[in-house]
Amino acid sequence: MGISVRNLVKRFGDKTIIDGISLDIADGELVSLLGPSGCGKTTTLRCIAGLETPEEGRIEIDGEVVFDSASGIMVEPYNRSIGMVFQSYAIWPHLTVFENVAFPLRVRRRPNAEVEQKVVRALEMVGLGAFRDRSSQQLSGGQQQRVAVARAIVHAPAVLLFDEPLSNLDAKLRDRTRAELRKLQRDLHVATVYVTHDQAEALSLSDRILVMSEGRILQQGTPEDIYHAPTDSFVADVVGAANFLAVEFRGQGLDGIRAVTRDGAPVRASTGSVPPGPGTIMIRPDKLRLEPAGPSQENRLPGTIRQRLFLGGHFEYLVEVGADTVRVISVVLMQEGAPVLVAFDAVDCVALAGAGAAVS
Amino acid sequence: MTTLPARRSGETTIRVVFVLTFLVTAFLIVTPLASLLYGSFQTGGPGAPSTFTLKNWGDLASRALVHTLFMTCFISVVTSVFSTAGGAAMAWLVYRSDFRYKRSLVAAVGLSFFFPGFILGMAWVILGSPGGVFNDILEHLFGPDVIRFDIYSATGIIWIQVLHILPFAFFTIRGPLISMDSSLEEAAYASGATPWQVVCRVTVPLMIFPVMSSLLLCFVLSVEQFAIPAMVGIPGHVHTLATELYLLTSFSPTNTGLAAAVGLSMSAVTGLSIFAQRRIVHRRMAPTVTGRGYRVRELSLGRWRWVATAACVFYVLMSFIIPALSLIYTSAIKFFVANPFEAAWTFRNYVQLWDNPGTLRAFWNTVLVAGGGAVLGLTLGVLVAYSTHRLKPRGHRALDILACLPFGIPGIVIGLGFLWSYVYLPIYGTLWVLVFCYVARFLPYATETVGAQVVQLDRALEEAAWASGANRIASFRRIVLPLLRPALQSGYFLLFIAYFREIAAAALLYTASTQVLSISIWAFFENANWGVASALSVITTIITVALMGAVMRAPLKL
Repeated sequence: MGISVRNLVKRFGDKTIIDGISLDIADGELVSLLGPSGCGKTTTLRCIAGLETPEEGRIEIDGEVVFDSASGIMVEPYNRSIGMVFQSYAIWPHLTVFENVAFPLRVRRRPNAEVEQKVVRALEMVGLGAFRDRSSQQLSGGQQQRVAVARAIVHAPAVLLFDEPLSNLDAKLRDRTRAELRKLQRDLHVATVYVTHDQAEALSLSDRILVMSEGRILQQGTPEDIYHAPTDSFVADVVGAANFLAVEFRGQGLDGIRAVTRDGAPVRASTGSVPPGPGTIMIRPDKLRLEPAGPSQENRLPGTIRQRLFLGGHFEYLVEVGADTVRVISVVLMQEGAPVLVAFDAVDCVALAGAGAAVS
Repeated sequence: MTTLPARRSGETTIRVVFVLTFLVTAFLIVTPLASLLYGSFQTGGPGAPSTFTLKNWGDLASRALVHTLFMTCFISVVTSVFSTAGGAAMAWLVYRSDFRYKRSLVAAVGLSFFFPGFILGMAWVILGSPGGVFNDILEHLFGPDVIRFDIYSATGIIWIQVLHILPFAFFTIRGPLISMDSSLEEAAYASGATPWQVVCRVTVPLMIFPVMSSLLLCFVLSVEQFAIPAMVGIPGHVHTLATELYLLTSFSPTNTGLAAAVGLSMSAVTGLSIFAQRRIVHRRMAPTVTGRGYRVRELSLGRWRWVATAACVFYVLMSFIIPALSLIYTSAIKFFVANPFEAAWTFRNYVQLWDNPGTLRAFWNTVLVAGGGAVLGLTLGVLVAYSTHRLKPRGHRALDILACLPFGIPGIVIGLGFLWSYVYLPIYGTLWVLVFCYVARFLPYATETVGAQVVQLDRALEEAAWASGANRIASFRRIVLPLLRPALQSGYFLLFIAYFREIAAAALLYTASTQVLSISIWAFFENANWGVASALSVITTIITVALMGAVMRAPLKL
């Protein structure tokens, strides 16, 4: 049953924030909406929650129509079976931890014994069993986030909605909480929408990722699909660090697409299919290798090291390859200014139509 | 596919609440103004047979009234310049210099702020009138008629008003000064500027908008002043628009039509000033920063410290301590004599208060109007602030403008408007008229106090309640109201104190059975019963100051 969204349109004034989105989320599935700020991902989530009224479209939650522009149905958020975690957590400062979590049950007028039992269970699930009588103002950011999660799940809603729930935590805590959220969602087995601009979060948590831009869905698929086989340079860039080489595609062969760089060096890519003509080849920085300078061959391009940054476990190099600059992750120590060969395998190259973004 | 507008059940609730709020506000504020406008074109007073006329507006141009207009503007400009200069100087002393007695100064200025204007005026009549304390001292020192001090003059009005309004300027300017990003000044120090160069080239230019805003607000407060010019100006034949309006309304031959025209002209002056002030505030006042705890570098006063201390002590003496002492003194003697060694001490003034049923009644009325009225005023204020800052349905801008209007309308003018419109209503002559009038007059106090906190309230706190299953009313009651509690508390006390000491509107609206304390004090004073007037003032001041203490101590932070 889960969530079903059809042809959703939302405008603020003249500006179209959501431009005809459709999506389906099955029970127990966690779907991330990934994209830069302003792409419409949070607005989509808020439309599902009922906090925004869309202009057009239809939304079903757990088989019940909660919004339908055609028949003028708009169910208020408090009449939808949802649990939501806000970016700011929105923990009510005047209530204790227990009462914050109990709120969804209290407004549904559940008997005290049931409230007690369910709140305790929810707090234990997020690891805050000992905190029930704390004032919500004595909590750290991470604890507040857990209270927000407990409050969202306590009444066993049909769907869970997360609005960038980890963006206010520090990096270490974020990694740990990510893993816990994943386990919690698996255990509860509810349809979940997870809004984020953090590619690592989306990749690690999701069953499916929807990459959004300017109110539309650019690509959707499993994290592996999206990461390894983006269909668009924007998607490639959003889900991870990416290098783009401007090339001229020559045509499809048995072993992949052949192309030449602007300097005439031959390149072969085995992922993606594009018509002959100008285009882009995308390669992840960790798939590039630095080799001693030598003659240019297929997928071995001559370049010059412009900058080296030591990042602990590895180096990050900026290498000038013809007219392009690429980022290379490598454990090999090389000097700035040194001539090198940048080598890569065809299986790691994704052929994309259109121009790519420059490495910043 | 035809698209129907989606129906939301929650929106019906909002619509109903908003429409009711709008109607009540419009009724309270538009009715008196409309009746003033109507009245200004009528020959007779409210309730009397009357015909249409343009004469009132023509009479505005009479020599006497034009002179009064100029006198009002003169007094108000001088008052606002001195108040703002003094208030700004004190704010700078407290927040930017190494002045020693910062906490004491802020407390003392706060005390003066809550000292009711009409009581201050009365005290200064006792001190500065021809037979008063100061002239008696001067006579003893220098012999009769060498130096005389006459409070019954334009200078006297300005003097008392500056003492009264200066704290307001202090509190208006200190906010922007505190929140100004101190790194701007630090950057100037780091660039090699001397302390005085920093003051002149950074602090003062950045504070120019707050200072201009304070000048305009003090001007409006001064134009609105009724009690001080009435006590000091009427005996000295110095008239302002406010006292002129009062005389035209309350003493025969009355001319309420002309009074209405005067009131509307007054509102035009104050309304335009408030409009200008709002425009200034809407520009960015000064770059501000929040949540940074760095101490601002304090400028050393050096040998100027003594001058600064002396000036502040002088102000505190003149604005609160000496007036308060003179009232206590006057309340405790049988007949007024300036020399305490010749005085016959007594408690009879206080006993007389207790024995006087009229005073007890006034006290009870004041408690009802201030205590009960403030609940109504606050309720309306919350509804307006929540509508205009959060719900924002169609028409919320109109409501916002409507609720701001009383800022620009002097109390005595609103009083006249109510006098004119409520004559036709069954509640005329009851306390309800006073309550309605105060609710309207001080509505901006409530909306500003509550609105400031509504704006700060994270929208997600309420949305989280909806997402948790609470409908609009439940989430308002269980989440919004508890979170607004600090603003509700301070708003209630603010309204209570304002209602408690309001005199201008009451002067026109009271009847024998609806007398309030401020009017009783004034009446005793006008009947030359200084002893009882002072006794009642002392009690009123103690109540006001005690309430202020409660406001300051109340747990304002959650």
